[in-house]
Amino acid sequence: MTSSLPRSPLPSLPSWARPVVAPAVLVAALLAGSPLLSAYWILSLTSVAIYSVVALGLGLLMGRVGLVSLGQIAVLALGAWVAARLAFATSLPYELILLITGLITMVLGTLVGLPALRLSGLYLALITLMLAGAITIVLTNTNFPNGGPGFLGHQELFTGDPPVRRPEIATTDEAYFRYAVIVAALMFALVWWHVRSRPGRAWAAMRQSEPAALSAGVNITTYKLWAWALASFVTGVAGALLAASVSKLYTFQFPTIDSIALLAVVLMGGIYNLWGAVVAGALMKLLPALLKYWGAPADLLLILFGVGVLQVLLTAPGGLAQQFPRDMARLGAGLLALTRRLARGGAAS
Amino acid sequence: MAIRRKGVIAGLALVLVAATALAACSKNQTPGSSGSLKCGAGTGQKATGDPIKLGAIATKQPGTDFTDIPNAAKAFFDCVNDNGGINGRPIDYTIETEQTDPAQAAAAAKKLIETDKVLGIVGNTSIIECAVNHTYYEQQGFYIIDSGIAPECYSTPNSAPVNMGPRYSVDGATQYLLRQNVKKLVLDQSNVPGTEYIEGGFLLIAQNAGIPTASLKDDVPIQDANSVALRLVQAAGDGGGVVLNFTPPEALKILQAAEAQGLEDSVKWACSTPCNTDFLANALGPSWNGKLGVNAELNLTTASGPDSQQYRDVLKKYAPDLAIGSFSQMGFVEAKIAVAALMSVQGDFTAQSVNDAIKNVKNFQTDILCKPWYYGTAPLHLPNNTDRTVVPQDGVMVQKEDCFAISDLDPAIKQVRDIEAAG
Amino acid sequence: MLGFPNDWHEYLPFIVTGLALGGVYGLSGVGMVVLYRTTGVLNLAFGAIGGMGAFIAWSLINDSDWPDWLAYVACVAFGAAVSFAYGMLMGPPLAGRDPLVKSAATLGLALILLGAMSWIWSDKARSMRLLTSQWRYKVLGTQINWTQIIALALGVFVTVATSVFLRRTGLGTAMRALASDREITATLGVPVRRVEAATWLVSGALAGASGLLLSNLVGMDAATLTFLVISSLAATLIARVRSLVVTLVAAMVIGLVSAVITTNFDLAPYRNMTPFVLAAVALLFLARHQQISFARRYQ
Repeated sequence: MTSSLPRSPLPSLPSWARPVVAPAVLVAALLAGSPLLSAYWILSLTSVAIYSVVALGLGLLMGRVGLVSLGQIAVLALGAWVAARLAFATSLPYELILLITGLITMVLGTLVGLPALRLSGLYLALITLMLAGAITIVLTNTNFPNGGPGFLGHQELFTGDPPVRRPEIATTDEAYFRYAVIVAALMFALVWWHVRSRPGRAWAAMRQSEPAALSAGVNITTYKLWAWALASFVTGVAGALLAASVSKLYTFQFPTIDSIALLAVVLMGGIYNLWGAVVAGALMKLLPALLKYWGAPADLLLILFGVGVLQVLLTAPGGLAQQFPRDMARLGAGLLALTRRLARGGAAS
Repeated sequence: MAIRRKGVIAGLALVLVAATALAACSKNQTPGSSGSLKCGAGTGQKATGDPIKLGAIATKQPGTDFTDIPNAAKAFFDCVNDNGGINGRPIDYTIETEQTDPAQAAAAAKKLIETDKVLGIVGNTSIIECAVNHTYYEQQGFYIIDSGIAPECYSTPNSAPVNMGPRYSVDGATQYLLRQNVKKLVLDQSNVPGTEYIEGGFLLIAQNAGIPTASLKDDVPIQDANSVALRLVQAAGDGGGVVLNFTPPEALKILQAAEAQGLEDSVKWACSTPCNTDFLANALGPSWNGKLGVNAELNLTTASGPDSQQYRDVLKKYAPDLAIGSFSQMGFVEAKIAVAALMSVQGDFTAQSVNDAIKNVKNFQTDILCKPWYYGTAPLHLPNNTDRTVVPQDGVMVQKEDCFAISDLDPAIKQVRDIEAAG
Repeated sequence: MLGFPNDWHEYLPFIVTGLALGGVYGLSGVGMVVLYRTTGVLNLAFGAIGGMGAFIAWSLINDSDWPDWLAYVACVAFGAAVSFAYGMLMGPPLAGRDPLVKSAATLGLALILLGAMSWIWSDKARSMRLLTSQWRYKVLGTQINWTQIIALALGVFVTVATSVFLRRTGLGTAMRALASDREITATLGVPVRRVEAATWLVSGALAGASGLLLSNLVGMDAATLTFLVISSLAATLIARVRSLVVTLVAAMVIGLVSAVITTNFDLAPYRNMTPFVLAAVALLFLARHQQISFARRYQ
């Protein structure tokens, strides 16, 4: 019952390769910020980095403790609101704003999580959907801070809102892209470190069997809440990254449908592997840019996500992050066999 | 398992095909046309020279699609390209879309200017784009011809719209209701950023007339149109008037709910520009004949002037699938202004020379607008500040009031009139 | 009183619209509960199915000149067909999985239908005029039309009829048995697949009927119709996806409260929060005392 979600224990990469891949991808991502890429792709990739962190949070909840939240985009909006408020109210360095936003979002998330965690899977998922709807309505009415007075910090300006300030070391789009990738990498490292240490072992035990974990002395509520708090923290930090990446924040950016699309891409990316979150971020923010680039209709995206959800739940519980390397390995083996056969055939004749 | 999965896909495909077939039946026919179509230089020769690049950004997402505007502009450019182009050079027009995502809107502007190296931006229509990109355009020296939605489209130096946007259109609808002698005025608008900006002019005009007001807003999409309609009628009271500022589908929900409850005659109804579409008139049906005053920023699509005729012909020939309506009309006018500007460029076509030409447009005459259109170097641009009122009549919109000036009680209008008077 | 009108007559029209909406929410809610009790699937695509049915009905009436009533039947039939097809294709492979997985899969269907709707029908504004909306009465100074009466009556009728059906008929007993234990029911000789198929069909028809009514009462808008399911969902949650009568009552309360709040200018902008707040409060209150679980076998 604990881990009701699709599960696949197979690691996708041989163990020797794993420590190499993450730094390699990081370096590649940072180099991609070089003049090789146009401003358009740099901005798209910044979004990918930010949404990868959001996907990381949801993937953590689903893959490690079997909790589904349908309200992660509302948490992201909350993080963006807090960060914008802090950026206008204080002159703190942006790194501190990231940290404080993460912590505030974590506290808010935990306050909600504390009672909600007593609910079982489906109820929890639905209550998060309800709360996300409620948060969106409140934000529609309060708007995002733009340096105005009062607690809400919003005033109507007719000649353009001042943008949320960016970190001093990353004011250009390209520098901000690198900044976002590094912060995202730190969030991945934080989650990876948790998965590898004590909480990770507790989550693994709970995933095997909650009663067994309980009898082994694992405090289930504490560790569920731990995962919940960690997911809220990284999503809050992602919200703070988002706030400074765009010049103006709107409620339209955080529609309820995105929380559902996020679930779809996280499932498609794969929830048992941190790489899945990167794939999910790309599906969420790079795929629309690519579709547009190819001139395909934007609505196709929702249909693709829908088909993806059904396909993953039916056949590929590991998501693309596991399926793709496996398919590639199979393709490689096939090609190898083919060349051998051809070579043998050539030798025979 | 594999068979089942194929079954799923086949089933879904079937549903899609059936639905697409249904949708295909709904393509409407465009009436009226004339003989040979002459756009731009009117040579009838295909332009084959080095293309001149232009671009546009429009919102396109489930529920909101503004691409009709740049697509209509594209239709006119295509017609110009078939008629000698700009001194033999065709216009190469790139349309970017965004999904009310500031990051996407910013990326689109940078792609157009830095990657595609467009020389001018014409036909932008987005809920957020002006707010996100106006500083960037100012830095880059780009002068945009657009259809404005966000307040920044009407209050910054590098954006000049062909329409006049929600605030001044609400002003116009308010003036119409005052002429109907209403006793109280209620404004209801969609709860999106900028509501206080939009209600500003409404409050000034109503207060000046000594009429009590109420200003409401509703979250969109509206989920309880019946309650909304009731509340508006209660708030306006006997002899009151209601101004709606919503997108056509949302306004339609409220108006139909009003009809379902027999409230068409309980108050006087008015609407800002978005309601000016024949779809709405058609969906409303005959019980609304003459009962909804819609502020119209552009001439009727059925008008008889040469530009209106050319608009219908261009759409028929180059974009037969595009709906006839204010959206495509705006795109057409924007493209026509841009072509006039391009024709005036002396020497090389560069971003500098093209944007100088756009900035220097003045006294651009067209029968689709009430007054000649102009750009210039003012800190804000509202060249369209005189317009009409239309009402639904048996499924189409017909003119009720001819061109009238938007009240200069609204300070920005006053400022613009002073700029116009200074010449 | 805090910006609410003092004269109770002013509430009447809002009560009428609230009851009508509540009736439809109840109708959907009952369809969802019955399906969940029988198959373990909480169909989150309920709104999207009905929405697409309504769009198809609109196209049949306006583009293909079908008689209105035939298009209404087509809408309900479309709901039944899609729901049935989904149940037959996705039901068996997911049968042994947790309710969470089964329900997450319906989100896939919802995304597909929503994408298809906004792809096909986003070109212009549409509205659904039901014949019944043109028949109006004035009661106590308040206008009431037949669509509203049908919405309320259908909600009540379906709730009562379904409750009776589940208790009194063989198929109903089989459905209730399935809700308790699928394997044991199967070994007892109940044709499980056939019972499930019937449930998918009927709940899909209810989705179609709800979609048709909502497209008139609320509006023809793909996203709205898809997400209105949240109001019904809130009602089913308050009923803990168990009692049909509680579902109907909760749906009525949600419809009424959000309609009456509209009269208050300060609270009105927050009225759409009603289902969320009511469901959240109800669930968190229940969760205070016990672990609420969807696991049917252990309850």
